[in-house]
Amino acid sequence: MKSSRRTRVAAVIAGAASFALLATGCAASDSGSGTKNEKITLTVTTFGTMGLDGLYKKYEKAHPNITIKATNIDTGDNAKTDWQTKQAAGAGLPDVQGVEEGWLSAVMQVSDQFQDLRDYGINKIKDRWVDWKVKQATDKDGRIIGYGTDIGPEGLCYNSKLFAAAGLPSDRDGVAELLGGKNATWDDYFKVGAQYTKATGKPFYDQSGFIWNAMVNQQDEGYYTKDGKLNVKDNSTLKSLWLKLADATESGQSSNQTQWDWGKGKAFLDGSFATMVCPGWMLGNVKGGVTQGGGDATSGWDFADVFPGGAANWGGSFLTVPKQSKHPKEAAALAQWLTDPAQQVAAFQAAGTFPSTLEAQTDPGVTGPNELSKFFNNAPVGKILASRAEGVVAQYKGPDDSVIQSQVFGPAVQEIDSKKANGQQAWNDAMKLLDQLVVNK
Amino acid sequence: MTSTLTPPEQATKPSRPRATRTEGLTLRHRLGRLDVKYSPYIYVAPFFILFGLIGLFPLVYTFVVSLNHWNLLTGPGEWVGFDNFVTELKDPFFWNSLFNTMSIFLLSAIPQLIAATFIAAILDQNIRAKTFWRMSVLLPYVVTPVAVTLIFSSAFDEKYGLINNLLTAIHLDPIMWKTEVFPSHIAIATMVNWRWTGYNALILLAAMQAVPRDVHESAALDGAGSFRRFFSITLPSIRPTMIFVIITATIGGLQIFTEPKLFNATSATPGGPQRQYQTTVLYLWDLAFNRQDFGRASAVAWLLFILVVLIGLINFELSRRIASSEARVSKRRAKKRLAAYNADRPTGAQTQRADAADAASTTAAPGAHTQEKDS
Repeated sequence: MKSSRRTRVAAVIAGAASFALLATGCAASDSGSGTKNEKITLTVTTFGTMGLDGLYKKYEKAHPNITIKATNIDTGDNAKTDWQTKQAAGAGLPDVQGVEEGWLSAVMQVSDQFQDLRDYGINKIKDRWVDWKVKQATDKDGRIIGYGTDIGPEGLCYNSKLFAAAGLPSDRDGVAELLGGKNATWDDYFKVGAQYTKATGKPFYDQSGFIWNAMVNQQDEGYYTKDGKLNVKDNSTLKSLWLKLADATESGQSSNQTQWDWGKGKAFLDGSFATMVCPGWMLGNVKGGVTQGGGDATSGWDFADVFPGGAANWGGSFLTVPKQSKHPKEAAALAQWLTDPAQQVAAFQAAGTFPSTLEAQTDPGVTGPNELSKFFNNAPVGKILASRAEGVVAQYKGPDDSVIQSQVFGPAVQEIDSKKANGQQAWNDAMKLLDQLVVNK
Repeated sequence: MTSTLTPPEQATKPSRPRATRTEGLTLRHRLGRLDVKYSPYIYVAPFFILFGLIGLFPLVYTFVVSLNHWNLLTGPGEWVGFDNFVTELKDPFFWNSLFNTMSIFLLSAIPQLIAATFIAAILDQNIRAKTFWRMSVLLPYVVTPVAVTLIFSSAFDEKYGLINNLLTAIHLDPIMWKTEVFPSHIAIATMVNWRWTGYNALILLAAMQAVPRDVHESAALDGAGSFRRFFSITLPSIRPTMIFVIITATIGGLQIFTEPKLFNATSATPGGPQRQYQTTVLYLWDLAFNRQDFGRASAVAWLLFILVVLIGLINFELSRRIASSEARVSKRRAKKRLAAYNADRPTGAQTQRADAADAASTTAAPGAHTQEKDS
């Protein structure tokens, strides 16, 4: 509080900083209009751990006239705020902007503010990606605005020690089989969960939010129909899935953990829960959490090639070229190079981001053993993720998709997790929020 | 230099006839005169230019935005007049945010000011290692609020936090710091208090040091104990500073953002899943950056601005009343004494004058308020 003083100082600093930004932005724009050997500075904004940091130097070496100024923002959400502010201001965006799938729908609202990469030859190479990745980056006019970097096919993280203690099969194939193998359904998953909870008296999964996220994302149509109509209230598929999740949660299968925190990693070690839905990049979070909680590879976490309800994808990013860039050609070339299969393999080895190009997915550098697979009981992580990426659909995301996910169903998930409401009540509350936040806005 | 030297030179020659005055001036003189006239404006200009750029312009621009349907990304839509304000005044989330803000403000400001006053009173005594103690109370203020919030947010964690661990260790029920409304407000108020109590204590300490020691001494000689002296001398003497502290606390309290934003940083809805501790500024931020409704966010910003101004005016009025009623009381006392003194003396004229003054003060009582303020 009393931020008056603080804010004023902050405002002055922010003001000065934005002047500086503007100044550098202008300076960058003045320098050159693209002859071959002119010195060019390209700015790149990424977020989280995209594994690109080591690659910039390599590119600079191969292209002596290009200097790369990279900024990495800590999380995707903060990167979204950063992008939105600069997009709204109409100035300050970098030459290459990283975009996360979670806020791609916001980017698509202003897709005409990004370069159409078909002008820079993406059509010739678009077969290298899994097809749905290119579809995600295509706007309704058919313009392709992003080079795919990584994807987030979801598998199942489980703790083999806890499974064994509950009298369930604990090896990777056994667990996949137990949950229904290729035809695994959520019914199977919650049935095994009930078994586990009965045998141990402990919850089965960490919390309901990630599961609900996967349930929605794996449908052909989520909160919106293909032609962009909001479809939640009378969406019987979503509602029946919601009630299933709520029932399982009510019977004690959810550990009601704080998302992304897990008790600073302790929950991975104290047997609070035995399974978790895991996109490729989440493996890094699990490893990080276990390490933070004081555990190591002996904690029993493993990764199974199975996912209830069919293939699902969560996350993954794109590199785009905003129209604000004064060097779109060079920026597009850099973005394309950064997403080449060879670089994707390097990024995977650096940060565990699973490649979106088919060639990289089968590269021994991805399928072979690495630090991550050692941590997950030598699970062939790369192979499993490649198999989990089969059958993923590119779902249409409406403009308010992320608001519905976080602000309409977020509170409802919390209600069922903390047992404040049953499935039907929570669904009704969510519909009220939907009216207030989306329908009647 | 010229600006300070020139005017006295002119002032010492007042006898010069008017007509020849400008003609006789050299360029140097004329420049000097311009300097005197206008350079003060240039000296103060940086503040006003900066204020105009980063204070006034955003204020006006925000107002213009608030009159439009304005998507953060796609820009201005149609002109809707005061529709955004009406929508906000009808929106339960807006009122919820105001309630949270006021609740957190009261929970933090009151205990904080009381604690700060007593800490200041203790520091005002003759203690050993004065500077050490004074620096120590300021230490929490030096730590960035983000770090403070991260530490407290971890301590207030529901399942693994320090506080709930302690509670369960002594067989009490853990408190749901991040899901229940009231506990979450207390948790956030605690962070605010931790950070600002020392700062306020130092400001109040400075005011206490300015209280004349002889007043204390004579009171002590008259037999007043230290508590009596604190309540009857120290507190009344630091009243203007106290009012300043309260006003800045109010303005800051209504703009609280960092603490609730980072209290549960991963919550998809800022300020708790059910908006349990979503303050007004946080609500504004959510509207602008999550829901992309720039128009309504601007309307909220203006409503908050108006609210802060209103509360500021109330504060100002209250402090003026306190000050002027004090002045009135002391004036009346002085007059009474004067009258009593005059009554003892035989001179009629003086008595009459005193009576007239007394009568004037009684008849003019309702209006006296404004007059005395000026004096």
